[in-house]
Amino acid sequence: MNESLAISTRGLVKTFGHTRALDGLDLNVEQGEVHGFLGPNGAGKSTTIRVLLGLLRADSGTVNLLGGDPWKDAVALHRRLAYVPGDVELWPNLTGGEAIDLFARLRGGLDQQHRDELCERFDLDPSKKARTYSKGNRQKVALISALASDVELLLLDEPTAGLDPLMESVFQQTIREMKDAGRTVLLSSHILAQVEALADRISIVRQGRIVETGSLSELRHMTRTTIVAETDRPAQHLAELPGVHDLTEEHGTVQFQLDGDRTNDAMQALAALGVQSLVAHPPTLEQLLMRYYGDAPGAKTTEAGTQ
Amino acid sequence: MTSPRHALQQTNRKQTSRSPLAGLGTIVRFILRRDRIRLPVWIAAHGLLVLYIGAALPQLAPDKQDLAGMTTLFSQPVGRMFTGPAFGLDDPTYERFFAAGYAPYLFILASLMSIFLVTRHTRGEEQSGRAELVRAAVTGRHTMLTAALVIVGVANVVSAGLVSALTIGLGYSIMGSILVGSATGLTGMVFAGITAITVQINEFSRSAAGMAGAVLGATFLLRAIGDMVEVGGSGLSWASPLGWATQTAPYVHDRWAPLILSVALAAATIALAFVLQTKRDFGASLMPPRPGKVRGHPRLGHPFGLAARLHRSGFFGWGVGIMALGVVDGLFTQAMLDAGKDMPPELRAVFCSDQLLDGYIGFLGSVVSIFVTAYVVFAMQTLRTEEATGRADAVLATAVSRSGWLGTHLAVVALGATLIMLITGLGTGLAAAGVTADAGLIPDVMFSHLAALPAVLAVLGITAAFFGVAPRFMAIIGWLLVAVCGIVDLFADLLDLPKWFRGLSPLWHLATVPVETFQLTPVVVLVGIAIVAVGVGLAGFHRREINVV
Repeated sequence: MNESLAISTRGLVKTFGHTRALDGLDLNVEQGEVHGFLGPNGAGKSTTIRVLLGLLRADSGTVNLLGGDPWKDAVALHRRLAYVPGDVELWPNLTGGEAIDLFARLRGGLDQQHRDELCERFDLDPSKKARTYSKGNRQKVALISALASDVELLLLDEPTAGLDPLMESVFQQTIREMKDAGRTVLLSSHILAQVEALADRISIVRQGRIVETGSLSELRHMTRTTIVAETDRPAQHLAELPGVHDLTEEHGTVQFQLDGDRTNDAMQALAALGVQSLVAHPPTLEQLLMRYYGDAPGAKTTEAGTQ
Repeated sequence: MTSPRHALQQTNRKQTSRSPLAGLGTIVRFILRRDRIRLPVWIAAHGLLVLYIGAALPQLAPDKQDLAGMTTLFSQPVGRMFTGPAFGLDDPTYERFFAAGYAPYLFILASLMSIFLVTRHTRGEEQSGRAELVRAAVTGRHTMLTAALVIVGVANVVSAGLVSALTIGLGYSIMGSILVGSATGLTGMVFAGITAITVQINEFSRSAAGMAGAVLGATFLLRAIGDMVEVGGSGLSWASPLGWATQTAPYVHDRWAPLILSVALAAATIALAFVLQTKRDFGASLMPPRPGKVRGHPRLGHPFGLAARLHRSGFFGWGVGIMALGVVDGLFTQAMLDAGKDMPPELRAVFCSDQLLDGYIGFLGSVVSIFVTAYVVFAMQTLRTEEATGRADAVLATAVSRSGWLGTHLAVVALGATLIMLITGLGTGLAAAGVTADAGLIPDVMFSHLAALPAVLAVLGITAAFFGVAPRFMAIIGWLLVAVCGIVDLFADLLDLPKWFRGLSPLWHLATVPVETFQLTPVVVLVGIAIVAVGVGLAGFHRREINVV
């Protein structure tokens, strides 16, 4: 087993009744990296994380987490990791502050000063009872508790689904700090932009299987940006450039798709036409998956993944 | 021709959309649709109770002499505590027997129906957020509450009519029957009004229903103590809405006056509820949430502390209730002895002894143990909730082991159950010693409680085993065990239950101290079963997956 891997799974299979939530999943996460775990809802992200936590037992395949078996060595491993579920449920009569302290202490202790600082940065009032918290605030509680714990590995299952954009940027900042401190982060998400901003490497999961894995630049070929520009001069000839697709032009506005690794050439050509306005849309995860994998015939998207 | 009519509709719509009751008809129809099964079941329950009693009485007491022999069941103080003021039992008839012993439970049934229906359709909807969609549509501020009260009003009127019709059908006198029905419906409306207030005060439907339930419990207690003082009740009986209903003395004095109080209280509480509703925001309560602790107490840093915190409110709620029951029972030891001379054999069978005092003490210990068994099953359901909500996931994802998590919960529940038994035993003993001036009763009563404890622990163990191995069946098995313990302990001789069925109750195997001499063997066996079952539960939980079943 490779020593530098924090997480490594081989051929994980997990079924719930007739649904096959994991179907031969191979996931490798290096020590000290932020690993984006990307996939549409129901692709098997949560199931994978719950197997990694030893809450579920895989039907077949092997799991290695921080050098141990999560099913057998759960307690010893859990001392070294923190988990933030996608749907955080707290005890309604405990305050947020009590819940933060509880989880961190159960993991083995917390950095009190760091915890207070995080409460401030995430703008969380820890004196409120959890029943009064919104989904976003409950998520902040779990996040702060995880970030304030002294652990090697963070398992984050769609941790920002309820956070507003301002908090999203605070979140990204704290994850970068974690990375600088040498921690490993597995960040599950269905938002491509979030993973792009944070991850060193990405694994894309679909229907219980990893369909693509690599660094961002390695996956650059997969991203195709939509460009809409108003130009002074006609732009028809851009269609000829390599990496430009589906070009249309109407009333001086040109629209086309652009391969990620051809951006420079196309932009230079565009600039020469006198650009009045420019909008670029990054591809959504769904577009990306649709383009590269289509709707795999016969395979149904499993719904069992997100619980 | 169409335009004036159209204009009229327009103004109509304008008026209704401004009114605080806009959309009332729609919401009422919506509730009727949602509760098309629930409402008939509640109403039918009233009718079934009447029919069952009406059919059973002539079986139990074929002639007047048998009936006269049974009246002490309700007319002595403990009987009055559980039923009512026992009017007219010196000259008993079926209808009087029904009114004295069973009608009070019709009043409670109607109260419970009102409490559940009102919370369900007001705060329950508001809490879930569904009401927000409704309120955002063209409905007024008071529409939901009014609709709920209209539905509850209809349910109470129909229940009242059904009770009156069926009692008249049984051949009971007409005036008394109409009175029993009216008392049922109006008591229901009193609690509809009280619940309309508690749903304004509380932010959550469970706490609103709990608060209304506590009021019902308090009115029951007031009436119980008031009626225990003497036949026909005392001043305290008149302090309770349940007391007003029983003070109508149907088939004896046929008094309508007490129901004026019911009507007045129902009207006053409903009016107050509407006033309170205008004073609060949607979704908010009249009791603003107070800020809590910013930091967790060090006790919250380990699984035992967490388990203790999670079971705390359940422990206090059940503990206080059970102890209150025990103390009240203890206070009636002397009255019990006085009434003992002319107690019917049926009641003696419940206490399973002719030595009345010992029998009563043993009875108290086993009755309390049944309630504590119920607490244990209730507390174990907390664990299922923890798992189903995903909170167990979050805790087990920390450095807490499976056996650590389940084990500490079991320890806390076992400790809580033992404490409730001990404290109730002490309180009951003190009360009994106080009224009889016999301090020797204190250790006797405590011992009778302690002697029943192994049965509680056995039920805890079996429930824990199911939690670990087959969690889906835990609740049903647990509550069945509670029911079996209760049925066997209270009715085994009365119903002439077969021995194998009695054997299903862990309580039955224990000696009823002090009537019987203490036996060690069943204690060792039951504690052994508890330990083995807990072991099975821990092993099963260690092996199974979390939150998938």
